[in-house]
Amino acid sequence: MDIEQKQAEFIDHFVKQASAQKGTALVSVIVEATSHPSLFAFSEILAVPTFAELDGTENSEYLEVLRLFAHGTWSDYKSNSGSLPQLVPDQVLKLKQLTVLTLAETNKVLPYDQLMLELDVTNVRELEDFLINECMYAGIVRGKLDQLRRCFEIQFATGRDLRPGQLGSMIETLSNWLGTSDNLLISIQDKIKWVDNMSELDKKHRKEVEDKVEELKKSISAKKLPTVSRLKLTSEGSKRSTLNLVE
Amino acid sequence: MASSSSSGLTFKLHPLVIVNISEHYTRVKSQMNPHPLTSTVNGVENQQPAPRVYGCVIGVQRGRTVEIFNSFELLYDPSTHSLDRSFLEKKQELYKKVFPHFYILGWYSTGSDAQESDMHIHKALMDINESPLYVLLNPAINPAQKDLPVTIYESELHVIDGIPQLIFVRSSYTIETVEAERISVDHVAHLKPSDGGSAATQLAAHLTGIHSATKMLNSRIRVLHHYLVGMQKGDIPCENSLLRQVSSLLRRLPAIESEKFQDDFLMEYNDTLLITYLAMFTNCSSTMNELVDKFNTAYDRHSRRGGRTAFI
Repeated sequence: MDIEQKQAEFIDHFVKQASAQKGTALVSVIVEATSHPSLFAFSEILAVPTFAELDGTENSEYLEVLRLFAHGTWSDYKSNSGSLPQLVPDQVLKLKQLTVLTLAETNKVLPYDQLMLELDVTNVRELEDFLINECMYAGIVRGKLDQLRRCFEIQFATGRDLRPGQLGSMIETLSNWLGTSDNLLISIQDKIKWVDNMSELDKKHRKEVEDKVEELKKSISAKKLPTVSRLKLTSEGSKRSTLNLVE
Repeated sequence: MASSSSSGLTFKLHPLVIVNISEHYTRVKSQMNPHPLTSTVNGVENQQPAPRVYGCVIGVQRGRTVEIFNSFELLYDPSTHSLDRSFLEKKQELYKKVFPHFYILGWYSTGSDAQESDMHIHKALMDINESPLYVLLNPAINPAQKDLPVTIYESELHVIDGIPQLIFVRSSYTIETVEAERISVDHVAHLKPSDGGSAATQLAAHLTGIHSATKMLNSRIRVLHHYLVGMQKGDIPCENSLLRQVSSLLRRLPAIESEKFQDDFLMEYNDTLLITYLAMFTNCSSTMNELVDKFNTAYDRHSRRGGRTAFI
């Protein structure tokens, strides 16, 4: 969607920069990429081979930071903050945004308490400001804030980078969706057939009743005897009336 | 007339023009004096030839794109084989006041094919627009035909038998809609079922609509599924941005899940069921009432002497 389009040029730019440089210069690329306000996708940058070289060296902690930004959350950072370098406030903000995206992956309705815990925010006002300004205006999340029930209902959230195992679960979800829609199609088709059948039956029934009425009318007009007629009339009259009602 | 493609202009036609032309034609046709069907000639009944209606189309031309927005009617003078010029100019002035950007792009008519006499009218319009368009609507209803029976012709100078002549060449066009046009066309398209039939056909039509929509969704999800499976197997290189988009899409399911929705939904469902039940009840009781009345009438004839013994 449009987030992806906006990101695409930045991703290209950073990938080029990363592949062009080595060693400590890459560190600055990482810092720049992770603090960029519109960039939320880091797996392309991670995939650049020059990063793999960083792994053994003293700058490997920056590689860890990049991995954290690709897949982790703010609480991951806090628990590992010993081994990771200090983050610039822009990076802190971005990590918090990414945390919201991760939370959105599991639940559609996020209670304020959980959000406040994950994001290290103490009062509701700050939380709402953060959600509104940083998440919704940035366009990465769309949803409704329900202050009475203290929850955030998410309708749309940008995807984060995929961990390798997630592909399998996505395929499973898709196949479930496919199965449900197939069943739905079948049941709609059955209903349509049922509708057609019922209207057929109804028409047949109507026709039968009308035919019977015609027959009776003819038989009555055939026998015009006055004395017998009264009795006949009553039984025929009642027959006719019941047939009319059945119609 | 030749039917090759044209000079490289792209045409965009608005549905309003098509609706106008068809409405003009229908109006003229229904106002014609109803001609008693003549005696069968070789078993084929003669009806009056379909009337031809004429008018002008107006719109905007920007560079190579010609967009036809609107149209208006013109009177055709069969004696001089031309359109009423003064009326055209008056109308043009009026339209200019309301839509200053629209120019006369050409003219329209109805019929099944472009004819020789049309070239006269075409040439007459060439002094307003040096290359006018000819929009032709075929009013014959052909249930097998899937496309719109509208063709746009341009005029080109071809050398035939040594003489440069103007002939009509067919061009392709696309339909372009404004939101208002889309709504009205949609509305007209949905009117068909209520015209035809009973509750059964309407229900069937509605269900068929839902069915086709679900089917489209199904086929697209299938494509995505196939793509992801291919990616997992390794046949297709992983493209991260697409994967991200798919994951955000999957996040949107289930569409609505809160308790409040369940409550409201069940309440509305129960209300509908209740009302259907009530309606059926009322129907039954009125039928029962009629039955009782008819029995009473029938049995009244039997006992004429006062004492009205009701059956029940």
